[in-house]
Amino acid sequence: MQESVARQAAGSRSDVSPKSRGERLFAAGWRTRDWPAAWLLLAPVLVLFGIAVVFPLVDTIRLSFFDTRGLSKPKFIGLGNYVKLFTDPAFRDTLVTTLIFTLSTTIVSVGIGWMLAMLSAFAPRQTLPFRVMIFAAFGISEAVAGYMWIGILRPDAGGLLNAVIGIFQPGFAQPWLGDPRTALGAVIVAAAWGGVGLPLMLCFASVQAIPKSLFEAAYIDGASHWQVLRSIMMPLSLPGVRVAVFINLLGALRAFDIIYILTGGGPVRSTETVGYFMYRESMTQFKLGYGAAATVVLLVAVLIVSVPAIIQRTAGAR
Amino acid sequence: MNLTGTTPRFRRRTVLGAVGLAALLAAAPALAQDLSGELVILQWQGGTDAEMWQKLEADFAAKNPGVTVRELVVTGQGDMRGPMRTALLGGEKVDIIINTWPAFRAELADAGILRPVDDLWGAANLDAALDVSWRELGSTNGVTYGVPYTYGDRSAIWYKTAHLEKAGIEPPQTWDEFLASIDKLKAAGYAAPIAMPAKYWAHGEWFETLLLRIGGVEAAARLAAHEIPWTDEVVKTTLRKYAELLNAGCCGTPEQMFAGDWDYSADQIFTADASNYLMIGMWMNARARNDYKLNEGVDYSIFQFPAMGLGHDDTASVDAKEISVTTNGNNPAAADAFAVYMVSKDAADILASYGYASPSKNADPSLLGPVQQVATAAVAQSKVQFVLGDLLPGDVVDEYRVQLQKFLQDPSDATIDAVTAAIEAKAQEVY
Repeated sequence: MQESVARQAAGSRSDVSPKSRGERLFAAGWRTRDWPAAWLLLAPVLVLFGIAVVFPLVDTIRLSFFDTRGLSKPKFIGLGNYVKLFTDPAFRDTLVTTLIFTLSTTIVSVGIGWMLAMLSAFAPRQTLPFRVMIFAAFGISEAVAGYMWIGILRPDAGGLLNAVIGIFQPGFAQPWLGDPRTALGAVIVAAAWGGVGLPLMLCFASVQAIPKSLFEAAYIDGASHWQVLRSIMMPLSLPGVRVAVFINLLGALRAFDIIYILTGGGPVRSTETVGYFMYRESMTQFKLGYGAAATVVLLVAVLIVSVPAIIQRTAGAR
Repeated sequence: MNLTGTTPRFRRRTVLGAVGLAALLAAAPALAQDLSGELVILQWQGGTDAEMWQKLEADFAAKNPGVTVRELVVTGQGDMRGPMRTALLGGEKVDIIINTWPAFRAELADAGILRPVDDLWGAANLDAALDVSWRELGSTNGVTYGVPYTYGDRSAIWYKTAHLEKAGIEPPQTWDEFLASIDKLKAAGYAAPIAMPAKYWAHGEWFETLLLRIGGVEAAARLAAHEIPWTDEVVKTTLRKYAELLNAGCCGTPEQMFAGDWDYSADQIFTADASNYLMIGMWMNARARNDYKLNEGVDYSIFQFPAMGLGHDDTASVDAKEISVTTNGNNPAAADAFAVYMVSKDAADILASYGYASPSKNADPSLLGPVQQVATAAVAQSKVQFVLGDLLPGDVVDEYRVQLQKFLQDPSDATIDAVTAAIEAKAQEVY
């Protein structure tokens, strides 16, 4: 087997593209003696993955076909939960809220992260402390961030945001989280704040990977900073942007902690996303089957976002 | 000795006595045996309540040295039924469940988790310790599952005495006086005299006592059982009365009401001095004493919900916590003994030291603080109904709270019709 691989490599090197040769080498690798060892090393992770991810996933899908209320015996109802979900006006509103929340949070956090990365690229050393501080926010748990934002968004004049605005408009006291018109926006800002750090680092890394010769050539040709930014840095940082968008979209779709802490899905369900809907139905009302159906809907949404991106990246890698 | 003539009578008496004793022993094992083993209690309370429970458990263990008490602690936020269900569904075996939700009692009973305590009630003569109304409150479908050990008045309005003094008013006794006091408090500089915590559930407190004042305990009980619809005139009349309060400018804007939960509202009154009235349960007493360091009856007090003159002013909404015993616990004898202990004088004294009232006739009301004594006296003189929100099924109570929020946004007749119709639609699905 190894001889045929070598023969192929020697005989075809001149007339076969490196990609094909790489593919054959890769394919040949599966037939080596290393395969049992590879599976043995993978086994613990696969077992843990099975227990922690696959089993709960399969059981959740199974549960979604049952009517389970409180501690009573589950009753098989087929697609009944799904029919009820999509005819439930509350769930339809939740889907709209989730879409708004997901897109807004992603656009804000990736947009700000990207802009900050572009600016930081002009003075990487001087902006290092700021980049570290911004990224540190990404490392704070959503629950902790939520309690912090409760203090910032307090409805009375003592809240930080109201106090700052109160400098210019004395007595200002907007109930940000109590007003259905501002609650979702406030939650989006709080969630996006925590999400800026990762896009910043990803986009900054993309910019750092741009060959210095391109910049030198551009400046020699008389390009301004703005032209360098627009024509070199922005386009060539797009790989980082794509990864950041992907990660932020997935995170925003599954958002729960920040909403639970800040608004509890209110006021008047104006901030209730699918994640919170799942919690409310499953954990407070213990309608496990109905909550599981909402989970499956969310899973489908996550797959819609992630599968094309994974396929694209895999194809790109080949 | 010839026992022929006397033996049958002696034997009959002996036999009957032995049978009676055996029956008593069989019916009240906890009362006749020395208890031993581990007693497991499903504990969901924290803070001061958890501390109180440690004392109760220690006292019980001291009286029953063979018993070791272990708590199975579940944690969470908001409604603790979720974590409790998780523990029970996960296979945890406990002997005692502390319950404060009648709807949850029904759920546990239907699932076969709770053991009826009618036999225990008789064997331990709990009627001597608890009024029959408490037994009814602890029953589901005519079967008694709970032994209530504490209760709270949910028709009391909390206030800081300095605020009323500043406005030059006394605690209002009637509805008209109450509305007038709102104007006087606003004139004294309080923009929103009622701290209305509408973020989660506490905005329902006002609705529930108004319902009692307007329709009586029977109307509330029938509504809870869905024997009358949510579109019934008694519900709409209640909401119109609620609207009178809102239209009097009691509570600030709807956005301000939605921004806070009950603890934020309590802060607004007792630390920020920005509001004046709060309608919340008796756990506020422990918070005022321990967290705000206020003197009970001096710095703060309560007055009972004002009279409305509609024939039902002798009603009160109450909550209660009860001891329920399980069917699958490992120590039923100790569980029964603990349930009986919780209505003893010693347990009532411990409860009183933490500001909690006991429904037991063994309790010494003089041990209670002045605020708790006001509440206890009010409940004693009232026809009581359990908190409506704790009687409703989960789906309905959720919808009820959200629809009440919509009502707070716009307390018009059109909204009242829409809100009641929405709750009724959900109730139709559930009941």
